[in-house]
Amino acid sequence: MAITFEHVTYIYEPDAPVVQKVLDDISLTIPGNQFVGIIGHTGSGKSTLIQHMNGLIKPTEGTVKFHGEDIWQKDYPLRQLRSRVGLVFQYPEHQLFEENVFKDVCFGPKNQGLTQEEIEQRAKNALSMVGLDESFYKRSPFELSGGQKRRVAIAGVLAMNPEYLILDEPTAGLDPVGRDEILDQVSRLQKESGITVILVSHSMEDVARYAQRLIVVDDGHIRFDDTPRNVFRHREELEKLGLSAPQVTYLAAALKKRGFAMTEDVTTIREAKDAILQALSAERENRSGNGIQKKEQVKTDD
Amino acid sequence: MIKDITIGQYYAVDSPIHRLDPRVKLVGTVLFIVSLFVAEGVFGYLAAAGALAFVIHMSRVPFRFMTRGLKSILIIMLISVSFNIFFTEGTPVADVLILRSMTWEGLEKAVYMAIRLIMLILGSTIMTLTTTPNALTDGLEKGLGFLKKLHVPVHELAMMMSIALRFIPILIEETDKIMKAQTARGADFESGGIIRRIKAMVPLLIPLFISAFRRAADLALAMEARCYHGDANRTKMKPLRYEHCDRGAYGCMAAYLVLILILKFVWKGWIAG
Ligand SMILES: Nc1ncnc2c1ncn2[C@@H]1O[C@H](COP(=O)(O)OP(=O)(O)OP(=O)(O)O)[C@@H](O)[C@H]1O
Ligand SMILES: [Mg+2]
Repeated sequence: MAITFEHVTYIYEPDAPVVQKVLDDISLTIPGNQFVGIIGHTGSGKSTLIQHMNGLIKPTEGTVKFHGEDIWQKDYPLRQLRSRVGLVFQYPEHQLFEENVFKDVCFGPKNQGLTQEEIEQRAKNALSMVGLDESFYKRSPFELSGGQKRRVAIAGVLAMNPEYLILDEPTAGLDPVGRDEILDQVSRLQKESGITVILVSHSMEDVARYAQRLIVVDDGHIRFDDTPRNVFRHREELEKLGLSAPQVTYLAAALKKRGFAMTEDVTTIREAKDAILQALSAERENRSGNGIQKKEQVKTDD
Repeated sequence: MIKDITIGQYYAVDSPIHRLDPRVKLVGTVLFIVSLFVAEGVFGYLAAAGALAFVIHMSRVPFRFMTRGLKSILIIMLISVSFNIFFTEGTPVADVLILRSMTWEGLEKAVYMAIRLIMLILGSTIMTLTTTPNALTDGLEKGLGFLKKLHVPVHELAMMMSIALRFIPILIEETDKIMKAQTARGADFESGGIIRRIKAMVPLLIPLFISAFRRAADLALAMEARCYHGDANRTKMKPLRYEHCDRGAYGCMAAYLVLILILKFVWKGWIAG
């Protein structure tokens, strides 16, 4: 159970005056039941990388394997692969075409050749997962807001029940509540049904919060591939790549610099809160309250 | 997938030919094509081929890019060449089988015709390879500016042309994206009978049209927001102005034309004498 890349190189325009390797000799294994985050600056090759995973583009060099089988060997069932590796594109709302929301979500399962009942069941499940209730079913996808369209499009892929779910910046342009809702659902799905989720994101907070493993892409190379905590230890390197660590990591570092007895190793708000409270109580025990207390109070509100 | 189609096949390098004023290149291409029909005799064609080779060399575009254009007209060329070979009156090539209906005159005509066609395509390919579509429309607009006096809406036509040209790669890209997105949802564009295939296009065409309309509306709005008002009193950010090398290029063209004419009369004299 794994998607494996072996020395994958990809060039979009081999004939262009300047040949640009969008992916350069990438080797990578993504086993089942993981939540993987992918980050990288704009144009670093993230979207190109994930489109290799379900056989939408063919590597210029190297092989991509799914469960140990080369997906570009002759007679490999690519369509079946695509229903097992679901891919939600960046700006997926542009792919909607049916007359109503429900039908559009049914498009994927229908292509899988399921019975009508199953199709409808899956569509309903998927729509409820992205937080769209029955009042949306009969509406035209074109008269929805951008965020609602996005949800419909995500549901369209969820309805295919993939083993691997790849999301390319699914939350760009969503409100904070909607963003958390969708990511929470996906994360729950990942834990409950044991699928693998691959999340491409520009939000360090999101990947820190949800991912177990973080891959940093830079100009077609993988720079880091580790747990988010370990990756975010390399703050300076990340900044050189046009990225950053989560804001709370900077906060922790700043507090430490001010002489706080706390770790810099925090990546999520919850961890930060715990670390700060711990540091505070330690401080209080050491010496009974003095001038710094006020400053600390303000900071915990973050 | 669909990326293999090349339209507006500009090849981006820096070369003296790329830097020429688009008007020069337009005029040059037209003159070259005319010269191909004026030229006569071996020397005339040699001169034309020499000029072409010189320009190709100067343009620094790899030769295999030129020949791409040739592939598309290969069939037309084969047909017209064989017509010429077989249907021209004259002395048969030999007295055996098929060779009986081939004539020396036809063969000669066919060879000249093939050379002419090849050079014609190469000549115009050079222009599109070294000139961005935008520069080309700019050149057309300015070059045909005199038609405005006859109330031909030259500016509007040029604007439409450049917008259309600009939209082609965008639409191709968009098609590619939507195709991939639907493929990821299990759509199948490649198998099945003709009816199935047409049906399979629906999930591609509807989003494509919608996005084209949206883009057109956005563009109209953006132009409006910047107070676009057509031709009158508009100035250019980079107005076309002839430089020394442009004048030089015109000079070369004139010299080339004279050479072709001289060679033509020399050849005629030679044949007659
Ligand atoms: N269809 C294409 N044709 C040619 N070049 C492309 C194409 N798609 C992407 N590229 C190039 O490949 C590189 C990587 O693009 P990619 O879309 O993978 O980046 P990304 O990491 O997903 O960026 P973003 O964060 O903006 O989505 C870019 O330099 C881009 O110019
Ligand atoms: Mg991308």
